[in-house]
Amino acid sequence: MIIQDIKELEEKSIYIIREATNNFKNVAALWSMGKDSTSMLMLARKAFLGKVPFPVIHIDNGIDFPETYKFRDELAKKWNLDLIVAKSEIKPEMSGFACCGANKTVALKKLMKEKGFDALIVSIRRDEHGIRAKERYVSPRNKEFKWNYKNQPAEVWGNYLSELGKGGHVRVHPLLDWNEIDIWNYTKQEKIPMNPLYFSRNGFRYRSLGCTHCTVPIKSNAKNIDDIIKELETTEVEERAGREQDKEKSYVMEKLRALGYM
Amino acid sequence: MIRRVTLLGHKDHGKSTLIGNLAIITGSVTEARINDAKKTSKKLGLQFEPGFILDSFYEEREGGLTIDTTRAQIKYKDSAFEFIDVPGHEELTKNMISGASYADVALLMVSTKKDEGIKPQTKRHIFIAKMLGITKLVVAINKMDAAKYSEEIFEEIKHDLSEYLSKIGFDRNNVAFVPISAYTGEGLIKNSKNMSWYKGATLIELLKKMSEKKEISRIELAVLLQGEIGRDKKIVAGKVVSGVLNNHSQIMLLPGKELFTINDIVVRGGSTNNAVYGENVAIVLDKEPKNEVRGKVLVEKDMKKKAVREIVAMIFFIRKISGHVSLLINGSKIDCMNIEIIKTIDIVTGKESELKIIKPLGAIQARIRLNKEVFVEDFQEMPELGRFVIYDNDKFSGIGVVEVKK
Repeated sequence: MIIQDIKELEEKSIYIIREATNNFKNVAALWSMGKDSTSMLMLARKAFLGKVPFPVIHIDNGIDFPETYKFRDELAKKWNLDLIVAKSEIKPEMSGFACCGANKTVALKKLMKEKGFDALIVSIRRDEHGIRAKERYVSPRNKEFKWNYKNQPAEVWGNYLSELGKGGHVRVHPLLDWNEIDIWNYTKQEKIPMNPLYFSRNGFRYRSLGCTHCTVPIKSNAKNIDDIIKELETTEVEERAGREQDKEKSYVMEKLRALGYM
Repeated sequence: MIRRVTLLGHKDHGKSTLIGNLAIITGSVTEARINDAKKTSKKLGLQFEPGFILDSFYEEREGGLTIDTTRAQIKYKDSAFEFIDVPGHEELTKNMISGASYADVALLMVSTKKDEGIKPQTKRHIFIAKMLGITKLVVAINKMDAAKYSEEIFEEIKHDLSEYLSKIGFDRNNVAFVPISAYTGEGLIKNSKNMSWYKGATLIELLKKMSEKKEISRIELAVLLQGEIGRDKKIVAGKVVSGVLNNHSQIMLLPGKELFTINDIVVRGGSTNNAVYGENVAIVLDKEPKNEVRGKVLVEKDMKKKAVREIVAMIFFIRKISGHVSLLINGSKIDCMNIEIIKTIDIVTGKESELKIIKPLGAIQARIRLNKEVFVEDFQEMPELGRFVIYDNDKFSGIGVVEVKK
């Protein structure tokens, strides 16, 4: 895994986050309490003199890990976040693609409509998945949340201003350039609080965090950030190998994203 | 430092295959992604296609083409590269421009196959790259295995292309040619025995040499403003695109010539005495600016240059324009009052003419009148303040670079 220059990445992300708040009236961010969206909040604090200037949304299906809820409440208080919890239903017969597609996306759609957000900051990274690597920094979604990936807007020389379809919104991706290892180097440098589930207990840790139903831990003895960085330098395993929704069939991520999944 | 390399070239000349195979050969991609590409190749009844490591859309794999740009990072010895894959199809030029605009160096693919070779689209990609500000080019003459590793064919393509390159202004010292086979991997990180006549460096070594970044040493100050930071209009956000911004200095805002004193500078969350090239700043001014600041530029207070309403520019159009034309320049959209064509450039032959027509996938030099003042610089001198995107009825229609006579 390639280690990039953190200062350069930080500059780019700060620029993109500021572009979002400058060009759109009603910005919000998704916060899963994972390492990426938490790092993004750190970047937003740096971009806006210490305070995250937009609401952060947790799509809560009620089956996240207890550690995740605790981490959410503590950090929301510490960083004075404007936290919105959007409850999503969970149907026991569903899992994987159907579950993420139906439950999380539906709850997000409902909330977006209610609050009228026109831009949503999502902390995806290019190195996570081949489909996410195809994303623009600022990417329109139509009223039905659909991603028209066959006709994405031009994005030349860092001009992220794209046209908005009526009733749609844009996804803003400030972390697109970051690699998994860069996030951990940044977490270390900035002492960003992290969900304890990332660190090894009894020989296992979570490398990518979802809900309790579809996320499985990996074998690992990495008990702290330095161990994780060392582990990532040599790993041959995909980051999202423990995420059920990525694996079922080919193109499932493409379908999920086209339908509005994050 | 990561070296950003954009691919260029006609469709099916091997751009995605090259990046995919290079990622495999250098060990820069996980087994899981290679296996996924293998599985898909098999399912589609194809030989293993390394390009599927990048072409991840269903439509791309089924259709055998790259629809949209993507990136892949590759590590070779001590160097890190980011390869930007782009579509070769004419109708996908918009996506090609989007990808290529982030590159430091370009890698052009030209196939040796009889019905392939140098195509109009090959030249178009070179022209666009030049306009985007790319000055260094590695030309990979690909599919040498299909040409029986013939030195003659290599030299013939090299000769024909060199002529075009010098015509549109590429410096001979900034162009290198290398014979390869993206599919067999020959010439990528090792020279091939099948081409012992070739004495030059491998593809990866040439890319490394060509992508050495040069220090930006411009001294005159320019900060391109992005907007306000919050409710306090005295605090503005911007990016230093030239020179050094010093705390407590006096500065001028263009257009408008308003003067300010800087009370504080914040970079990456911390107060600082000065900010340098590339840094995003929050600036605390001594008073509120009279108007919106987005798209304006902060310069030294006794700077002689002025904002203008008329610019001369080279423009490349991806489509015909018809209606309401505007420029996205310095981050803000400005309406165009008039476009007066000075000359037309045929980008396939490199010839200039007096014709006054705008053709799709064609270029012109023009004098543009805007309905508002803007502060610009010559693109070659200060790219960040000398480039724009053209919209026609709010549809992306082309790109332009500013020419300022000295």
